[in-house]
Amino acid sequence: MALPIIICDDSSFARKQMNRALPENWDVDVTFASHGQEALDAIKSGKGEIMFLDLTMPVLDGYGTLEVIKAQDLPSMVIVVSGDIQPEAYERVKKLGALDFIKKPVDREKVTQVLTQYGVIG
Amino acid sequence: MTQAIKFSEDSRDCLQEVSNVAMGRAADLLARLLDVYVILPIPNVNLLEISELHMALSSLEDSESVSAVCQGFIGSNIAGEALLIFNDTSFSDIAELTHFKGVIDKNIELELLMDIANILIGACLQGVSEQLDVKFSQGQPVILGQHIKVPELIKSAKKRWKQTLAIEINYTIENRNINCDLLLLFTEDSLSVLKDKIDYLME
Repeated sequence: MALPIIICDDSSFARKQMNRALPENWDVDVTFASHGQEALDAIKSGKGEIMFLDLTMPVLDGYGTLEVIKAQDLPSMVIVVSGDIQPEAYERVKKLGALDFIKKPVDREKVTQVLTQYGVIG
Repeated sequence: MTQAIKFSEDSRDCLQEVSNVAMGRAADLLARLLDVYVILPIPNVNLLEISELHMALSSLEDSESVSAVCQGFIGSNIAGEALLIFNDTSFSDIAELTHFKGVIDKNIELELLMDIANILIGACLQGVSEQLDVKFSQGQPVILGQHIKVPELIKSAKKRWKQTLAIEINYTIENRNINCDLLLLFTEDSLSVLKDKIDYLME
């Protein structure tokens, strides 16, 4: 069965870029969200076992989204994908429970490496 | 005469994302230099008439006293100017963060302004140029004014070209009273090339 994943970013260009950077032949069912609140709704309906999450977004940003996921113990493994590459941003999202951090612009090699590292893909 | 160029919502969104990545790199350098956390905004990308330049400075109030530097850039048939505008209230905190001891006079402020302009403008332009696959050369930074009001600044920044593409990035620093605006203004003649580069990126 296809793995439900979410790509959450306010930029449609960034969502497409992320979608294109997914490993080839990875059997996934992708849901797109344009801000954190949409992503949380999607996770609650079981659409986001894995989520690629941007940080700077309107409505609910990436930090806020991670906080809710942590507080409500929602079933989603989050990989942050952001242009905010300050060391502090990395530490903050790790503390909030993010699995890992991928710097923008994304490329398939890095995505594949992270997914392999956490045993998501073989 | 060049025809007025239109950017689709997709092109605007793409350029906003490119700016987002570029400003992140610039912020990272500033964060490491001052040992702070820089709060990143969503960049504002707008196509506007140069007479509406004040609209691009949405995060600055007319009454605020500011100091500003501008630096031209050119390359790959794209040209423009980068403006870095500091709220004057920022300087005491910047001096403190750079461990400057002594009286902060206009010259010291100018030095701090130039240092930060070099970092932010350089990194941001490099971020944009790498992603769009172009090369920019930068001119000498020029001081636009110190302790001036925003309308005065706009007057001194007014350009000969009519239409411009403006990218506004408002940096603030967490727990500090530091606020600056980085503005990238592209010339009218650059817009069609810029649009082609963006279209290529979106393919």
